[in-house]
Amino acid sequence: MRIFIANLMLAFLWALMTGEFTVGSLGVGFVFGYVLLWFIQPLIGKSVYFAKMIQIISFLIFFIKELIVANLRVAWHVVTPSSFFKPGIVAVPLEEQSDLEATLLANVLTLTPGSFSVDISADRRTLYVHVMDVDDPEETRWELKEQYEKRLLEVLR
Amino acid sequence: MTLLLADFDLVGFVSTLSMNVMAVAMLFSLVRLFRGPSVPDRVIALDLIAALSVGIIAIYSIGNDEPMLLRAGIVVALVVFIGTVAFAMFVEKRGRE
Amino acid sequence: MPAAINEIIACVFILAGTAFSLVAAVGIVRMPDLFTRMQAAAKTGTLGVGCTILAVAIYYADPGVATLAALVILFLFLTNPIAAHMIARAGYFAGVPIWEHTVVDELKGQYDKQTHTLKASDGTGALSDPDASGPGPQPPASEP
Repeated sequence: MRIFIANLMLAFLWALMTGEFTVGSLGVGFVFGYVLLWFIQPLIGKSVYFAKMIQIISFLIFFIKELIVANLRVAWHVVTPSSFFKPGIVAVPLEEQSDLEATLLANVLTLTPGSFSVDISADRRTLYVHVMDVDDPEETRWELKEQYEKRLLEVLR
Repeated sequence: MTLLLADFDLVGFVSTLSMNVMAVAMLFSLVRLFRGPSVPDRVIALDLIAALSVGIIAIYSIGNDEPMLLRAGIVVALVVFIGTVAFAMFVEKRGRE
Repeated sequence: MPAAINEIIACVFILAGTAFSLVAAVGIVRMPDLFTRMQAAAKTGTLGVGCTILAVAIYYADPGVATLAALVILFLFLTNPIAAHMIARAGYFAGVPIWEHTVVDELKGQYDKQTHTLKASDGTGALSDPDASGPGPQPPASEP
């Protein structure tokens, strides 16, 4: 976390020096800061930060891919007759997680193929998800947990 | 041939075409807005209309070279989010109609 | 002068965004019940508008516009699913009928009508039905 703040400060410094506060300059500053911190790693000690960054980027790529697949699937569902649908609401048991993690998970599920989070139980241990194609509720549950919850928690923790 | 290609206004053509398609999409969501059997159905139709208007604002901004219009898009998106949440709370309090 | 490369990319994004928006609109008319409609509107609506905003950022290739666009996209991706989820929840709570061909509905009977709170499903995600306490796949509760 400390290294992340240092990296943000480097990005900020870069933006100050170039004289423009935009996503572009902050992003460039962030990348340069990241490379710099990578090089001085022996001085500041090993940190999970560097591995984390790669995880975050790979998760983002995975998410964008899933988003496009989701949209193509909705398009497919729109053109096929509705007698092919097998929708259902499935209860997905969750790991212990914070508000932010639960919110992000619900959002990610809503934007990824076939699933749409309807509500979360009051104790935050069960997420009710509307799924477009339920062949077997157990399998769907397992798939959602494996695919999205595990990956997201891996990135966030 | 090359002359024809050089004169072809790609951005103008695409933005006009998209604008028309967006208008058709808006008509479809209007159908749902009028027909929707329950209040939540109408709310999602309204939500989609708002999203489409943000899209139309973006396309208009490209077609007419006015980058400032993006700010209008931000305002629409913000206000509509609040509106949808308020609607959802209202539906939950009052029940189906 | 032939079109610049950023114009071409922007046009591709506009067309993609428009296509997705159209899919969302057709989906919202064609889908059988509130939840399937939400699936269509939440996913394709978000990506459709996101694509057009991205096209604006690419077309102008200007840092200020790009910052604004990034802000809009971030905001859109955070709030759109939340809004959809709130309507779906309110709709289910208010008793909007779910499509009769829905295969399984594990949310049924989990709401407390008085306090507006939602129970957790018990353990393996089995239905709250006392008969269905054993683990393993549930028989689909569909009607013919």
